Amino acid sequence: MLNLLYCELLKLRHSKMISISVLGAVAVPFMLLVEELQTHAEHPEEKILLDQVYANSVLYMLILANMMVSVAIASYLFSREYAENTWKTILPLPISRTKVLAGKFLTLFIWDLGLTLVSWFSILFFSGIFHAIFGMSEYSLFTAFRWIPKYFLLTIFMFATTTPFVYIAQKTKGFVAPMITSAVIVLGSAALCNQEWGALYPWTASVLLLQGRVEGTGYPVWLSITILIFVSGIGFMLTFLHFKKEDLK
Amino acid sequence: MKMMLQLVSPTAGKIMMFGKDHREQMKDTYQKIGSIIETPGFYTNLTGQENLEILARFRKNVSKASVKHALEVVGLDQEKKKPFSDYSLGMKQRLGIAAAIMHEPELLILDEPINGLDPIGISEIRQFLCELSRTKGTTIFISSHVLSEIEQIADMIGVINQGKLVEEVNMKELHKRKRKYVAFTVSDALSAAKILENQCNVRDYDIQDHMIKIFETEFNVGYFNQILVENQLVVTGINTCEDNLENYFSELIGGGGIA
Repeated sequence: MLNLLYCELLKLRHSKMISISVLGAVAVPFMLLVEELQTHAEHPEEKILLDQVYANSVLYMLILANMMVSVAIASYLFSREYAENTWKTILPLPISRTKVLAGKFLTLFIWDLGLTLVSWFSILFFSGIFHAIFGMSEYSLFTAFRWIPKYFLLTIFMFATTTPFVYIAQKTKGFVAPMITSAVIVLGSAALCNQEWGALYPWTASVLLLQGRVEGTGYPVWLSITILIFVSGIGFMLTFLHFKKEDLK
Repeated sequence: MKMMLQLVSPTAGKIMMFGKDHREQMKDTYQKIGSIIETPGFYTNLTGQENLEILARFRKNVSKASVKHALEVVGLDQEKKKPFSDYSLGMKQRLGIAAAIMHEPELLILDEPINGLDPIGISEIRQFLCELSRTKGTTIFISSHVLSEIEQIADMIGVINQGKLVEEVNMKELHKRKRKYVAFTVSDALSAAKILENQCNVRDYDIQDHMIKIFETEFNVGYFNQILVENQLVVTGINTCEDNLENYFSELIGGGGIA
């Protein structure tokens, strides 16, 4: 599997997708810096905490920017083999289709994790700039490192909720359909993220789970987790079944 | 070919390769196979060498030296920085051939491998394939619509028409079957045909514009020429020819296209 992962990473050499995705991962931290500056300008007496900046980032990352970036990466990873006509070079090699797909999913997870870490570091960096000029309460590496496990969980949730888009990319052999679908999903997330039903909608359930707000919606935590696992599982299953049976003409 | 290479699933039947079902010991089987299906696909952001290095890693048993050697064989070893997206069609085809041979396969499956190659490139690849077969004992399973090319490299030919194998024959046998003829270019082919029919008892012939092709096992070219000239016909050319592969198979499938 490590060999497959290495092959997938080799395929990304000279690819502009890496730099574009990094820019996407920096978007939320940068917007949070702008928000900090505005808050400071309007209410200079208000304390801005690094912990609070990280907490705010979860919502934006999971339902907006990083989610969209993750869908774009997934679409790129899975549809490029069709676009560049490379399946007919890869599939006659002595390797099963299941392993090829597993290698791609693993690459997607690692890429998502890398981008989450970029976002984590960017928040620390931008907040550091703010701290140097205006001062930020509890600005410390310790606070930042406390968020690493949560960000890891965030990556798992983001990866899990991306699998249906992988299937769409695989099925439609392109970028457009998964990106349009993800835009619709993001609209749904925006509408439900502060509603009780948000606990039942996988893309907002993940945010509520991370923020510990599921119980406040009246729905049990296990239900949100079950829905997340179900949607993710459906995405995986459809992708594997479709690819295993697909004829590449 | 796509079924043999796991790109398309068979609706019925079995595919036997190296004496066993192709899905049994799949790793071993496909380790021994190299292939090109029409225009080969590679990652456009990578150079030829980088593309081959990825395929070598997938195969596991291919060294960097083998990758370099394969690139040298197809003449792409100097294109170190050019990404695949900037390759010409001929270069893409050459890289496909390099990918197919870099692990020294026992069986090469090639579907239209000379697509897009210039005449020199075609000749080089033809020589290379013949040499590969002769020196390394590689079996080459090749499909092409350019039958004149196939004629120059194949030992055994099969014709598929409407999805069915119409004929499978080795080249020696095929040469025996291809009919020889004498082609006379004359001022009036129709009159020439009547004269030869009446005076020389010629029955098996074909007329094309100013040419009459006479398919007879025993030719008496000088005598035919003398008869035509005596009948005031102007003979401007006489050639002894053999049916080419296209003609042979066109007749075999009843004049339709060859699939």
